[in-house]
Amino acid sequence: MTEASPAPGADLSSRPRRTHPLTPVAEVGDKLPGILVAVFVLGRDLPGGIVVRLGLALLVAVVGAGIGWLIWWRRSFWFDADGDLRIASGVLTRNERRVQSSRLQSVEVSRPFLARLVGLAEVKPEVAGGENAHVRIAYLSEPAAVALRAELLARSAGVRGTGSAAVEAPERVLVRVPARDLAVSTLLNENLILGALVGVATIVVAVVSGQSASLVGILLAGGIPGVGLVNGFLAYYDFSVAESPDGLRLRSGLLSTRAQTVPPGRVQAVRVAQPLLWRRSGWYRVSLNVAGSNRREGENSGVVLLPVAPYPVVRQLLSRVLPGVDIDAVDLVPAPRSARFRAPWQQPRLACGLDDEVFVSRGGRVVRRVDIVPHARTQSVRVTQGPWQRWLGLASVHVDSTPGPVKPAARQRAAVDARAVAEAQVVHAAAARLGFRPERWARSNRPATETP
Amino acid sequence: MGDAFAAPDAGWVRVSPRLALARRIVVLPLVLVVVAAVIVALALAVAPWAAALAGLVGLLVAVWAWWLIGRQVAAVGYAERGDDLLVTRGIMFRELVVVPFGRMQLVDVRAGPLDRRFGIARLQLHTAAATTDASVPGLPAAEAQRLRDHLAALGEARSAGL
Repeated sequence: MTEASPAPGADLSSRPRRTHPLTPVAEVGDKLPGILVAVFVLGRDLPGGIVVRLGLALLVAVVGAGIGWLIWWRRSFWFDADGDLRIASGVLTRNERRVQSSRLQSVEVSRPFLARLVGLAEVKPEVAGGENAHVRIAYLSEPAAVALRAELLARSAGVRGTGSAAVEAPERVLVRVPARDLAVSTLLNENLILGALVGVATIVVAVVSGQSASLVGILLAGGIPGVGLVNGFLAYYDFSVAESPDGLRLRSGLLSTRAQTVPPGRVQAVRVAQPLLWRRSGWYRVSLNVAGSNRREGENSGVVLLPVAPYPVVRQLLSRVLPGVDIDAVDLVPAPRSARFRAPWQQPRLACGLDDEVFVSRGGRVVRRVDIVPHARTQSVRVTQGPWQRWLGLASVHVDSTPGPVKPAARQRAAVDARAVAEAQVVHAAAARLGFRPERWARSNRPATETP
Repeated sequence: MGDAFAAPDAGWVRVSPRLALARRIVVLPLVLVVVAAVIVALALAVAPWAAALAGLVGLLVAVWAWWLIGRQVAAVGYAERGDDLLVTRGIMFRELVVVPFGRMQLVDVRAGPLDRRFGIARLQLHTAAATTDASVPGLPAAEAQRLRDHLAALGEARSAGL
């Protein structure tokens, strides 16, 4: 490593570091099955037997690892004088990125299955803004990854690096999702049941008509939702929510594990949802909008706060995420009866309301949902009205939040009230912004006890 | 407060009617080309009277498009209040957006070649929400730039993070 001699007084973490030397191996290891399949399928017509193909796969892997090693060699990261994380990379074209600590929205430490076997982990800080804001520092040894997360969070909170790596804040587990609940709730899925029904119908039709059963049909009907469900189960297995001064820490995963840390005040909006088949068990799913965290591999899931939990647990967690808010105490005003002609199914459920802290909207008949957005996190407010709505004297009020699963909106309000609802929301949001919790939360919340 | 889309106390500032002209220049040739093609096809394949009918319908569509564009442009408006900017648009699908200055992340001014020819520009406000659809098309170019600098300064002064 090029010894960039640190200025006197600079802390350890300001020196450029490389990721773990096993990084190229771990990166290639992830792709090895793909390489094998590609060589065996594409190389079908090659002369020679299995040895040639294996050799070819090995060659591809070695070349890949070589390139990977070059990339690894040229990549380093450090904390600059402003306390922002910098990442320099690129073999020929050099590229330097900066993760602005004050804009840090959440940090994830994940251990993909193969990396986990050799004790490696990657760190993904999520920063608000920019389409290409996705940053990944992979791979580090697990202790190094945890230390980097602690350091990122500490700097984001406004605590300056004090020479050595920041100590990870102690945490207290609030909720653990039992595997049984997760398994049962995963199976109680409308798509799976529908798929099974379609599959049975296909078989029945095939038997009755005397033609051989269309295997493809059955696979499509049952397989596609099935794969998603298995993935979901693996991803949310052993889900736990812990509280630490750094924020909420969400851990989960069976084969690959990940731990997301959402610092206080970074939650932009909350959705509590109950699919049709969960009603009997009284289960709910809670998801969050957290700025910058919804770009995960095309899936728009935002952050899942609880994959499945009964209402008392949901309430308990909501009181952590939205301090001082009692969701059940918010007065909800139902939508007018004329909304039946615009939303016949949802109308009895449609309602909205607000208190001093949050705006709440309710809707959904098959999947019941309640969306909550703190006034302080309101981005903009919109009133919309289509021709049919105008004819019925209705209008919708949207409270815009950062991209994510939660889209808070008071739909189908009486047109005469809609503007008042919107303006009230604007006033509440403005008031809430004045009493706004600072970006660097530790600076104001932790009194001077930490001064040396 | 009866009407959901009522103008604020200061009233709406309407955009330049040159926007209507610019849009008509884009839309009308398209309509005419399609109508001409249909007329020719009908005259050759069916009968002259069908072509004449198509021509009449085409003319009506063109007149309607002309009129609709005028109405749509006239429906676009914005207003600056103490703490926020209001933008409204639409006739069939009406929309009113309230963007607090403290939430503006950046302000863009964009002008295509035709816009530049007519000396107009589109002002676009961005917040951290992707659903905030606050753009004001058809501002006179100088006004768009003045508004951009003014709003950016206001946004800076009241910025409240995310």
